[in-house]
Amino acid sequence: MDSKGSSQKGSRLLLLLVVSNLLLCQGVVSTPVCPNGPGNCQVSLRDLFDRAVMVSHYIHDLSSEMFNEFDKRYAQGKGFITMALNSCHTSSLPTPEDKEQAQQTHHEVLMSLILGLLRSWNDPLYHLVTEVRGMKGAPDAILSRAIEIEEENKRLLEGMEMIFGQVIPGAKETEPYPVWSGLPSLQTKDEDARYSAFYNLLHCLRRDSSKIDTYLKLLNCRIIYNNNC
Amino acid sequence: GTENPASEVETGQSPPEKPKLVKCRSPGKETFTCWWEPGADGGLPTNYTLTYHKEGETLIHECPDYKTGGPNSCYFSKKHTSIWKMYVITVNAINQMGISSSDPLYVDVTYIVEPEPPANLTLELKHPEDRKPYLWIKWSPPTMTDVKSGWFIIQYEIRLKPEKATDWETHFTPKQTQLKIFNLYPGQKYLVQIRCKPDHGYWSEWSPESSIQIPNDFPVKDTSMWIFVAILSAVICLIMVWAVALKGYSMVTCILPPVPGPKIKGFDVHLLEKGKSEELLRALESQDFPPTSDCEDLLMEFIEVDDCEDQQLMPRPSKEHTEQGVKPMHLDLDSDSGRGSCDSPSLLSEKCDEPQAHPSKFHTPEGPEKLENPETNLTCLQAPQSTSGEGKIPYFLANGPKSSTWPFPQPPSLYSPRYSYHNIADVCELALGMAGTTATSLDQTDQHALKASKTIETGREGKATKQRESEGCSSKPDQDTVWPRPQDKTPLISAKPLEYVEIHKVSQDGVLALFPKQNEKFGAPEASKEYSKVSRVTDSNILVLVPDPQAQNLTLLEEPAKKAPPALP
Repeated sequence: MDSKGSSQKGSRLLLLLVVSNLLLCQGVVSTPVCPNGPGNCQVSLRDLFDRAVMVSHYIHDLSSEMFNEFDKRYAQGKGFITMALNSCHTSSLPTPEDKEQAQQTHHEVLMSLILGLLRSWNDPLYHLVTEVRGMKGAPDAILSRAIEIEEENKRLLEGMEMIFGQVIPGAKETEPYPVWSGLPSLQTKDEDARYSAFYNLLHCLRRDSSKIDTYLKLLNCRIIYNNNC
Repeated sequence: GTENPASEVETGQSPPEKPKLVKCRSPGKETFTCWWEPGADGGLPTNYTLTYHKEGETLIHECPDYKTGGPNSCYFSKKHTSIWKMYVITVNAINQMGISSSDPLYVDVTYIVEPEPPANLTLELKHPEDRKPYLWIKWSPPTMTDVKSGWFIIQYEIRLKPEKATDWETHFTPKQTQLKIFNLYPGQKYLVQIRCKPDHGYWSEWSPESSIQIPNDFPVKDTSMWIFVAILSAVICLIMVWAVALKGYSMVTCILPPVPGPKIKGFDVHLLEKGKSEELLRALESQDFPPTSDCEDLLMEFIEVDDCEDQQLMPRPSKEHTEQGVKPMHLDLDSDSGRGSCDSPSLLSEKCDEPQAHPSKFHTPEGPEKLENPETNLTCLQAPQSTSGEGKIPYFLANGPKSSTWPFPQPPSLYSPRYSYHNIADVCELALGMAGTTATSLDQTDQHALKASKTIETGREGKATKQRESEGCSSKPDQDTVWPRPQDKTPLISAKPLEYVEIHKVSQDGVLALFPKQNEKFGAPEASKEYSKVSRVTDSNILVLVPDPQAQNLTLLEEPAKKAPPALP
């Protein structure tokens, strides 16, 4: 969960992608990777999950690091945490909050929740990058991670949609997802208020990326390994 | 804060000091425990309570379990644990005098995960047949972690070292619960420890040390591998031997090309063995000059021409006219005087009436000059001056330090050190054209160039002399010869090379056709120029020749020319 870890994760991710591509050619399902979408070929579910788990793990690592950086630089002694309670825009999603609840949630529901979370973060991530760029003295550690997370989020969303399509064939509806409306507070002139808004956003991002990561790993073990990881 | 500060003064008792929450930890993301530090108790028995409320709730709860986690702890069981929710926790110290509350601690269980160390660490030495022996380490995931369902993702780190060593050898494993260690030292006692870490969280403590003794006879390597290596090497050797046998010589030649033996063109060892010196020398004629040291003795007699009555220039049938075109002189000369005899066929000759061009004079100056520059003795022998200067045939003799060798007009490479060319500037000038010498700077090699060594040295030295001669002869041959200035004190020594070293032929009119000195690179002799008269003889007995205007461009390719011995001064 440090920069070393994240760069390790990055390289592992890259390696995984390469290896997956190789594997897919001779993989379990013995069908080639389909870069242009479904058609004649089909990526195996196992590989999809492997890839998704790696990406979600990576995103959470990056989010944690970004939060810690921000906390260290801008939030010391400010008590921002008190304001961060109940501030996440995704709190309306009925996500399980312990292991038992999660294990009792059907994988369809879990996957919809994952998709909802991913979709609801597209917009805030985009604005986060823009606003961090404009932030005076924003350290590169924060900005680069924000950019990376935004990209990886999109990638994970695509992968999840593929998984969803394979696990629950025929489910094409897109569930509504929570909309983020915190942009004004990110742009406020009051520096403390603005930093507080950033703190909230990063805090929520860290949490939601942890949820996505945990649910995916649960699903992976449940679906692919039959609860025998 | 404290209450009733007044009573503090009176009784020495006070409300307790603010306690402090130290940390909270969750071993498996399902439960967690918090620990606090009490402050001063203010002299009264103090109770501690822990209260909390969750994010999004207003209800305040008290710690459900003060015991499980030990003193000053609060254990939150599964029922009371929520993930992804902030807990706001406070510890309160209560005594008779008052209550003190700690600063709140904001805790999200997601980020406080620290597992127990892995359990059931076992060590086992395995030595399977035909494979390398190893240490097999096994363990189980720590308690309270649900790995099977995927709720808890874990990775392990094992470290081991020989008991006495200081550095640990560490290994990471992403998931598996066993590890094989190879390359252990026999006779050592190894210590092994293990710890683990969740996918996002803190490392556990190291497990207690496990130890294992490697027996002394523990095989480090497995023998079958060495047998394989031995067989492979044998096979490779056999293949190589076979290849060598097949290809045999050609391969060896390829790897170790044979060192070319020294060769002297025309020098036929067999002739020498047979003792036919004449044939031998004849054979040598066609070769480059100078003859080898073997011939030196034979050549010694060729230095002086005393009596030139019967001298004739005999065209020498040269076997092969090599580039240099220098041939050793016929070797039947007096062996003692070192003077060339008039019988020597290689001398330019006409009748030498006047022995003034005395060989003796031309004899290699000995003594100081010679000492100084023994190598550069060039002697121009004057042909017997039967006529009044016409048809004089200069004799060119180059004396080596031995003064017993014929100087032979040679290509630069062949100008062995033993043949020194005196400053026969005239001769040089007369010499038609440069000998095309490669002419390295003579000056340098002045000293070395014409050593009085018996060995024929080619190359540089010869070239050096050549150059000198060339330099000396660069000017158009004309009457006004410039005697080579003696370089160092010897008049006879000069850098001026002798240009013409070869008498191509002597015509009926007494015109001497001389070959320019040939560069060793030149194949056939080039056009020779003819000289019909000697313009004068210098003090140092150098003949100055006048070119014959009539026959300038004779090319003599057919006849191997005789090489005119450089005239002795």
